[in-house]
Amino acid sequence: MKTIPAASADQSTGRHYWRSLDQLAETPEFREYLHREFPEGASELTDPVTRRHFVKIMSASFALAGVGLGATGCRKPEEKVMPFGKATGEYVHGVPQYFATAMPTRVGAVPLIAKSNDGRPTKLEGNPLFPGGNGATDRFTQAAILNLYDPDRATTFHKAGAAVSRETALGALAELAKKFAATQGEGLALLGERKISPSRHRLHKLVSEKLPKAKWYLYEAIDSNIHTAAATQGFGKSVSPLFRFDAAKAILSLDCDFIGGEDDAHNSIRGFSSGRNAEKGMNRLYAVESLFTLTGVNADHRLRTAASSVINVAAAIAKELGVNIGSVSTAGVDAKWVTECAKDLKARGKEALVVAGLRQPLAVHLLAHAINAALGNVGTTVELREDNISRSIGGIADLAASLNKGEVDTLVLVGVNPVYDAPSDLNWAATQKKAKGGVVRLGYYAQDETGAVSDWHFPFAHFLESWGDALTTDGTYVPVQPLIAPLFGAITDLEFLARLGGLDVVDSLAIVRETFATLSKGGEAAWNRFLHDGFLPGSAAKPVSASLDSSALSRALAEVKAPATASASNLEVVLHRDYSLDDGRYANNGWLQEFPDPVTKITWDNVILVSRKTARDLNVKNGDIVTVTANGQSVDGAIWTQPGMADFSLGIALGYGRQKVGRVGQGVGFNAYPLRTTTSGFISTGATIKPTGKTHVIACTQDHWSMEGRPIVREANLDQYQKNHEFVETMDAAVPPVEQSLYPNPLEEAKKGALHQWGMAIDLSSCVGCGTCILACQSENNIPIVGKDQVKRGRELHWIRIDRYFSSKNRKFGLETYKPEEAQQFEEWIDDVQAVNQPMLCQHCESAPCESVCPVNATVHDHEGLNVMAYNRCVGTRYCSNNCPYKVRRFNYLDFNKRPLSALKGPLYPTPLLNRTKGEWDLLRWWKNPESGMREDDEWDLIKMVKNPDVTVRMRGVMEKCTYCTQRIEGAKIAQKVKAKDSGDVRVPDGTFTTACAQACPAGAIVFGDISDPNSRVSKLKANHRNYSVLEFLLTKPRTTYLARLRNPNPAMPDFTEAPWSSQEFDLKNHHGSHDASHDSHDHATDAKKGAQH
Amino acid sequence: MSAIFPKWTNRLPLMLIVGGGLVATAVVGGTWYYATPKYTRVGYMPIQPVAFSHTIHAGQLGLDCRYCHSDVEKSWFSNIPSASTCMNCHNQVLKDDPRLELVRESAATGKPIPWVQIHKTPDYVYFNHSVHVNRGVSCVECHGRIDQMDEVMHAKPFSMSFCLDCHRDPAAKLRPLDKITDLGWTPNADPKVAAEKQRTDGQKLLHDWKVESLQNCSACHR
Repeated sequence: MKTIPAASADQSTGRHYWRSLDQLAETPEFREYLHREFPEGASELTDPVTRRHFVKIMSASFALAGVGLGATGCRKPEEKVMPFGKATGEYVHGVPQYFATAMPTRVGAVPLIAKSNDGRPTKLEGNPLFPGGNGATDRFTQAAILNLYDPDRATTFHKAGAAVSRETALGALAELAKKFAATQGEGLALLGERKISPSRHRLHKLVSEKLPKAKWYLYEAIDSNIHTAAATQGFGKSVSPLFRFDAAKAILSLDCDFIGGEDDAHNSIRGFSSGRNAEKGMNRLYAVESLFTLTGVNADHRLRTAASSVINVAAAIAKELGVNIGSVSTAGVDAKWVTECAKDLKARGKEALVVAGLRQPLAVHLLAHAINAALGNVGTTVELREDNISRSIGGIADLAASLNKGEVDTLVLVGVNPVYDAPSDLNWAATQKKAKGGVVRLGYYAQDETGAVSDWHFPFAHFLESWGDALTTDGTYVPVQPLIAPLFGAITDLEFLARLGGLDVVDSLAIVRETFATLSKGGEAAWNRFLHDGFLPGSAAKPVSASLDSSALSRALAEVKAPATASASNLEVVLHRDYSLDDGRYANNGWLQEFPDPVTKITWDNVILVSRKTARDLNVKNGDIVTVTANGQSVDGAIWTQPGMADFSLGIALGYGRQKVGRVGQGVGFNAYPLRTTTSGFISTGATIKPTGKTHVIACTQDHWSMEGRPIVREANLDQYQKNHEFVETMDAAVPPVEQSLYPNPLEEAKKGALHQWGMAIDLSSCVGCGTCILACQSENNIPIVGKDQVKRGRELHWIRIDRYFSSKNRKFGLETYKPEEAQQFEEWIDDVQAVNQPMLCQHCESAPCESVCPVNATVHDHEGLNVMAYNRCVGTRYCSNNCPYKVRRFNYLDFNKRPLSALKGPLYPTPLLNRTKGEWDLLRWWKNPESGMREDDEWDLIKMVKNPDVTVRMRGVMEKCTYCTQRIEGAKIAQKVKAKDSGDVRVPDGTFTTACAQACPAGAIVFGDISDPNSRVSKLKANHRNYSVLEFLLTKPRTTYLARLRNPNPAMPDFTEAPWSSQEFDLKNHHGSHDASHDSHDHATDAKKGAQH
Repeated sequence: MSAIFPKWTNRLPLMLIVGGGLVATAVVGGTWYYATPKYTRVGYMPIQPVAFSHTIHAGQLGLDCRYCHSDVEKSWFSNIPSASTCMNCHNQVLKDDPRLELVRESAATGKPIPWVQIHKTPDYVYFNHSVHVNRGVSCVECHGRIDQMDEVMHAKPFSMSFCLDCHRDPAAKLRPLDKITDLGWTPNADPKVAAEKQRTDGQKLLHDWKVESLQNCSACHR
């Protein structure tokens, strides 16, 4: 619907009514208005003979001749078009610009290309030039852009809660610098987050030289540094490990969720998925874990064991491979599982890889390194690099001790939020107050837990508005380049530290250039190339060789205690990094809050994950609020039954329950940080649970866990596939042969004149289910968030979703009575499950059921195969969504873009007729300014900057769905035609562009392109034997097809089955035999297959 | 029973039908004529803050459209130039003319001149200038004879049917790329020959350049 913009305030041109020409020409009012409009030239213009005046008379006469003709105002509200004030040279309005930058993480950085529209960043993509990368990103990177436009971010400098000017604050910082320069830093304590940045490292050295007595501390709530610490101890020199998943043929994960919960997941996923290639030899993944993580979802063999017992499994495997495990017990461990796994690893030798998770204690990591050394893979799958950036300086416990002793005068916090996430035994909120001179904080949110109690608060610049640098995990030097000047005058950590140290150079850009000069001798040209490419070539650290120091291992193993038997009264608590909110830093990011957890599919909440047996023994069910007591602390949380989880283990995600973060994150979920002490680590035993009798509503996007034996996701074991390449066809349903269509499909005719035919293939063997595609699509297509209540009603707006199905080898299919979704949590089959993922988006069916039922023809098919949605035509009948068998159409039940963020967690949106916002009737406010929603101005002004200008922002009442990124398709076609000019070279070459989801996928599972070109990547994938369409028997002829998933289990393992469990379920349900080539008793119409494969 | 209704009510239904029909026709006809873009937009000629005459600049002086609207070949948006483009000549020509006061002020201070927008498609239409200008569609097809307008006027209706008329028959409008900004150009001086030549030449361009001339919804409505 067109919004009529408000009439321009400037009334000086156009809209005037005259009763006579004389009145127009000669009245004093006319002269008056001329004076106002043109102060300099007014006297000249009242000369009735000027051309200007003549034109006015002429158009006035036209005005009298016809109603509404001419410049009178009846007709059209006036809009202004403003040119640039000064010529811009190369900048072209309407054409986006791209800049290389990087997103700093706690282990390194993600190299990026950021797209900038009108001088502001709107989309982040991976840097395809980066050596070894594939131009993909991870979840947090895709959502990070929304953080830049967070209306709750710190917008001013604060002193004791009151806003002060930038000059005042920087002046105070200078005073502080002078004060500590005099005492050489005596009494100054700095607590910072972990940043792998050469500039920051250099500044640390410079400031330490100036203030040698200042004490530096480092705290990360979820610290990945255990990998480095373990490698350093295990190999006797300061090294940090890089795991080469792409070089590994057999991987053993000891509670290491490298696909989801660990840092640098985009590299791990890329490496892992590249090895899942049936033609080139598939890798094999063994997972030992208690929670059902994404790594467990993708594992070929999974041993579910309590997290505190992983050490025993690791020890058993190590023993098999000849490592001395001291007195660590291996009782209670599945002996056959361990033996066969160890045998397989040994057979692979240097192509095997053992990784331990950051949750696990040091002993497990050292055991893993010992096993790796025994297998001889140090240098192939485990690469060690010298670690000279991460500083082994004091931790937060040391700082607390120092504070308690009264040694600290001024406490400076750089980017950390310890009041929220510090270990509970430190009682940080009170401890922090012991800094005599006060607390100075540099933070992103001024009103978060720590900012609210700090004496000084400096706004921390987002990485998209900062100059900086970083090292990626392989040691390559990358720039952090700003895309926009700091929106609110925020400062970077480099500038902050430089000012605090009283250094001469405080400008971030100058600091980075100085660092660059130490790393490259190329001068200006090299600097420009560095900024252009987004990395410094040849700067990757070379792997070093090292040998195992077994004394470290024996020391660590000697301290391992035998765990008590887990039971309902002796539970273990496994705190883990949340898939969406990380350690809590993204709590105010709406996209991530609404992002369904890849395994549980829960949004807007964290839960206490328990296995079925645990829930039964504790007599709790989904949604019950219970009190968990561990390490002397208690927290309340809601229960959720998780299939495949270890018994008597409680999985609780960190990062929720923040009471002070902003409109979106406040009060969402429950805070699990109190359960963590300085010594407890992530895994605590001896926990108990007490029901409270209350319940909590949980918004889950996928309530039904099973495919019920339907061949939606098709999978087979590798050797099944090798014996019968066409196994997917055996799972096709029987379809009567199609002789001739009664109604010819218009697409057949239209195709003949088309330049391309668009299609997509998704390889389920590569897809790990991480969900980066969901956030990339949300970012690219201006998809709003709907809030918890609407998600509960199934109205989430994600155009692409990842369906996750559990399957079991114990399912029985028969004449069952209907069981509601809630009954699933009590079914025994969920104890041991396999899971599969399937990204589901609009299939762009050639014979689309949605197109024929639209009463207003708002959804049509274009000649290139796209199912097109014209939002302005849609009246909101929702018949199309009703008819869609894949349920990929999303409806805007409410105007989600105009809903205020604070209302997102509440009950159903109240009617604007009777609603008041901040004391003012909404209708009245709308009358005064039709552009206002219920949103406060600061919210709308900022959030609208993240919108992609090439995509319509949809209003209430309109249906939307995946468009195969039609704006990118049109953009590429237009660019090709503009390049072609007067030639016929208008076909877009394969690989010029791709959809947002395909570009972001770290596994490279989604491939989009022109299927009419037999040499395109997507055509080759669709020709693959594993290619099939979902629900092909409906003859919708979808353009999005899938490649069946292959598992690579080890036949010697005790949990080996001939076929994956979902295939077994399919066979059971459909009374099929096996999937071998001799199977031919069904009349699977090949027409259906032909129709499906275009 | 006595007559309840007076006699004239016998003719009432007939009068209602005829009257209703006339009203309906008037409403439909009125809307069709007065409320469609052909009437509401064509002829819109707002008064601009600066009396810039395209007749003088584009017509008499022969400036190419792209001299000022320089990004039309690169972007969807055809830019209005900043005052510095005007000052390229006007720092010498009509140097102190009071009509150019606003231009000089804009060039000096960087404050943009608030031109009144005339040609605008609705928000749900995504029109791209560069693909039209680079592929044989002249400025005159949509903007009319700007080089003969003292004050720019909305010359064409810009309704969807207007766009489709050309998209359904591009051969009638395509011309060689070097004649895009030659607004008065015809294939031949004689109108009858011109029509024939346009048809054949246009057909040839359509074929040689593989002009797609999209008619599906996704071309303009994303």
